[in-house]
Amino acid sequence: MPFKGIAAIAVALGTVAATAAYGATRETPSLLRPPGALHEGGFFERCVKCGRCIEACPYRCIVAAPRDAGFQAGTPVIDPRAHACRMCDGFPCSAACPTGALEPVATRDEVRMGTARVNKDLCISYVGNRCEVCYRACPLIDEAITIEFAAREGDAIHAIFEPVINEDVCTGCGLCVERCVVSEPALAITIEPAT
Amino acid sequence: MELSRRKFIKTSAIAMASAAATGSIASLVGCSSPEPAEEGADPAASADAQAAANDREGITQTVGVCRFCGCGCGVIVEAKDGKVVAVKGDPDNGSNLGLNCVKGYHLATALYGEDRLTTPMIRDDKATKGTGAGAGLREATWDEALDLVASKLRETWKADKSRLAFWGSGQQPIVEGYCQAKFWKAGLLSNNIDPNARLCMASAVVGFMNVFQTDEPAGCYSDIDETDTFVTWGANMAEAHPMLYSRVQARILNGTDVKHYDVTTMNTRTSANADKVLLMNPGSDLAIANAVANYLIVNDLYDKDFVADHLKFKQGTEDIGNAFEDGYDKSEVGQTVDAVEEITFEQFAERLAPYTLEYAEEISGVPAADIKELAEVFADKDRKVLSLWTMGVNQHNRGTWMNHCIYNIHLLTGRYARPGDGAFSLTGQPSACGTAREVGTFCHRLPADLLVAQEPHRRYSEAIWNLPEGYLDAIEKPGMHTVKMFRELSNGNIDFLWSAHNNWAVSMPNLTRFLGKGDKKGIVDAFIVVSEVYPTLSTQYADVVLPAAMWVEREGQFGNAERRTAVFEKAVDPPGDAKWDLWMLMEIAKRTLEGETIGDADAFDALFGEWYDKDAADFKGDERETSRAIWEEYRTFSNPSLNPAAEAINAEAKLKMENKQLAPYDEYIENHGLTWPVREVDGKWLATKWRFCDGPQEDGFDQYGIEQYGAQDLAGGVSFYKSADQRPSVVFRPWEPPAEEPSEEYPFWLCTGRLLEHWHTGSMTRRIPELDRALPEALMDMNPDDCKELGLVDGDMARVTSRYGTCEVKVSTAGRTAQPKGRVFVPFFAEETLINLVVQDVYCPLSKEPDYKKTPVRIEKA
Repeated sequence: MPFKGIAAIAVALGTVAATAAYGATRETPSLLRPPGALHEGGFFERCVKCGRCIEACPYRCIVAAPRDAGFQAGTPVIDPRAHACRMCDGFPCSAACPTGALEPVATRDEVRMGTARVNKDLCISYVGNRCEVCYRACPLIDEAITIEFAAREGDAIHAIFEPVINEDVCTGCGLCVERCVVSEPALAITIEPAT
Repeated sequence: MELSRRKFIKTSAIAMASAAATGSIASLVGCSSPEPAEEGADPAASADAQAAANDREGITQTVGVCRFCGCGCGVIVEAKDGKVVAVKGDPDNGSNLGLNCVKGYHLATALYGEDRLTTPMIRDDKATKGTGAGAGLREATWDEALDLVASKLRETWKADKSRLAFWGSGQQPIVEGYCQAKFWKAGLLSNNIDPNARLCMASAVVGFMNVFQTDEPAGCYSDIDETDTFVTWGANMAEAHPMLYSRVQARILNGTDVKHYDVTTMNTRTSANADKVLLMNPGSDLAIANAVANYLIVNDLYDKDFVADHLKFKQGTEDIGNAFEDGYDKSEVGQTVDAVEEITFEQFAERLAPYTLEYAEEISGVPAADIKELAEVFADKDRKVLSLWTMGVNQHNRGTWMNHCIYNIHLLTGRYARPGDGAFSLTGQPSACGTAREVGTFCHRLPADLLVAQEPHRRYSEAIWNLPEGYLDAIEKPGMHTVKMFRELSNGNIDFLWSAHNNWAVSMPNLTRFLGKGDKKGIVDAFIVVSEVYPTLSTQYADVVLPAAMWVEREGQFGNAERRTAVFEKAVDPPGDAKWDLWMLMEIAKRTLEGETIGDADAFDALFGEWYDKDAADFKGDERETSRAIWEEYRTFSNPSLNPAAEAINAEAKLKMENKQLAPYDEYIENHGLTWPVREVDGKWLATKWRFCDGPQEDGFDQYGIEQYGAQDLAGGVSFYKSADQRPSVVFRPWEPPAEEPSEEYPFWLCTGRLLEHWHTGSMTRRIPELDRALPEALMDMNPDDCKELGLVDGDMARVTSRYGTCEVKVSTAGRTAQPKGRVFVPFFAEETLINLVVQDVYCPLSKEPDYKKTPVRIEKA
């Protein structure tokens, strides 16, 4: 009964075009890295694709970037639509990293994997429906995502419940992306990976 | 192109008209394309529009009501080629104005889970009960299944009719519930019929009946738009009443200095936006409410004119213990729980006197200053105050008492039945009011607030049902209420149980006992019939499963929390051999009553022959005609002038049945729902928004009710014409501790409830992929410090154990509901968690509604 749709990583990351460009340009596309990852350049210098963080992840959220990811293939990435980071107590992924590509993380609020972005044109909350699934799924509810109430034009008896991302707090764990009910034509919420 | 807010909203409103809830690409593009073009502005867009228009060929539109909660949001159902392709908010519905919550938005998909039940099924070996989905069930023909069901029902009925039962629902459409009650009460002469509304609304019902002698709120949803102050008592409206909570927030946004006080045992999504949260100890709400009432009296802040014109004062039996034992209702104390006596205002004030702010603080943990602030709000004559409450108040070992206490405050301050000033009991289910309460599918009721125990009520029902005088005296004594029914089932004292529109194997408390996981195995031996649309845990215990038409696969009617009756039209045929519940009922009734007579007439024909041709095994008219004809009989209960014999009894016994007057059937379709009482004025049927409030009928006031039965120019411009002596009762009810309290062995309070993404036991919403993704599992919300002490971290599995049972559930400290130390919350939608294995089945002694909110538990790392 439960539906377990598995979106392609690239699609989920909102980097459809970037996938095709991996091999050709050798530019570093932004991928969503595990907690504690150094910024992209530093991470890539240190990551030896050993897979220990992947093994350490109890939720199997971290996967190896696919072969068509060019020179990034084999590096650890998170596809939040498939399995968002649960930000486990003790962060076993970063603790397992032997090279410092992932720095040890002590608490959730240190994590900066990326930042969630709401597509207001696709989000069904922004037209007045009571969804806000992302907000209630957020592990930092009322901190990383808050609800702002807005008047609905021509309607005095409903408020629009706008999910708003607090960029200073959002860790980029992607649970909001995993849970979003809008997937066509695109997700109504995505993670912009930290660079 | 950046779309302006104004344009976006406008576009979206148009796009809503094509927003399919099926999650199809086309619909969502239509709904929210980043660059929507205005009509004629863009040639490419025009081509798209043409293509869209072609796609829409063959689409039919019908009017409906959302299948899920008690808000009663209107929807438009679009169907094509025999399939519902879209469900959108009904822009002409005055309450939701075209909007939905995330459940309603995805409603169409609920019909098309891949495991819809489409064939009757029979279990040959009782030992296979509870052994897995579909295990032990074989397909059967309708004739075989119906013959078997009817033969078992008839056999039980003839042998001992105290051993048969029907368990219904606040999700059963009105005419189906009406016929079910008629069959059970008049056909089988049995009162063993009760709805799942017993689990959610019974305390509210008994409160209404005790205080006003008429069920259901005086006010309506418009009160939300007119009040200055919201007080939520034990209600997580933000999740459980999504669109109404949008209305609350709109009022806060648009009004001036609108305040919200939340009285709660945990910080919920509703608390998150409140101006003040009164975080109280479980079960201490009675002390807070009494302290508010006491403060108002001691400080001379109550409404003396209102008291003088309208109120009477009472006290009741108080030392009533708790309903742990199966024999509680028949025990000496159990038989006195409803007793009350009149007292003076001064005596009432004396009873309240111990409830000082400090005493209430001591009991509740809420600072005296905060309780005082709440009391001052009620005292402030420049403010309007609207109380809203749900399960925290109703699912309570003193649920009826707490309902009383809320009315006490509102009545003392003259804040009842007036626009924006009211006490509004929110209902949880789409037709808890319309069917369970108004039709009366309870073990003690007859239609339209009538009671089996009252002789004039039985006479009145006999007149409308055309039964011999005295025929219903056989059902003078109420039957088994829900908890009693399942306790006796587990005891082996029920031989035949039929359920429909519910999933008791997940939603009942104390499932360890009721599912035969302890020493009581009655569920195995009993013959159980389950009418269902999907396999559920209940069908795993069924001897026969009857596949039912779902929602708009037939015509039906719901009555929502604000007394609004609405019709949902049939949009498509049911799949496979699934059938309308009403047809199943007719076929079972026909077989069971074969050869029986009522007076000189064939029993079945006397009850249903006007609508159903038993030889043809079909209704005489189509679904619309059938519904209309049944409705016409049902509405005679509230329109006594349609039946001379009933009219005479109504006058003689002063029943005032017009107080719930319903309109002809088609009026509900044309108006997209109407709130009763509905009055015929110059050929038009006008709804009432505020019962008992004087004013022009065309503005929604109860002009004709008051003219006929009430009095004008009383304090507050209201007249409680249905109450005995025209005076509602203010009843002193003391604070009592919860039935069980945490101990060394079971140190935590467990509270259960609903969350926004899933409806009840999830049998429908978990088959909607988007909703299953949105909330895939039940989590136990815990206080982080408690977790630390127990060595638990977010995401760990924990074992929860009470003296009733045990289950495992994943821990969350994220704070969706932020728990004070020593308390946990678990939603009940997840069958794999089955938290109700753990929940106690002790109930309010007056309403018989179980307390799902306060089970002491132990928590360990699993």
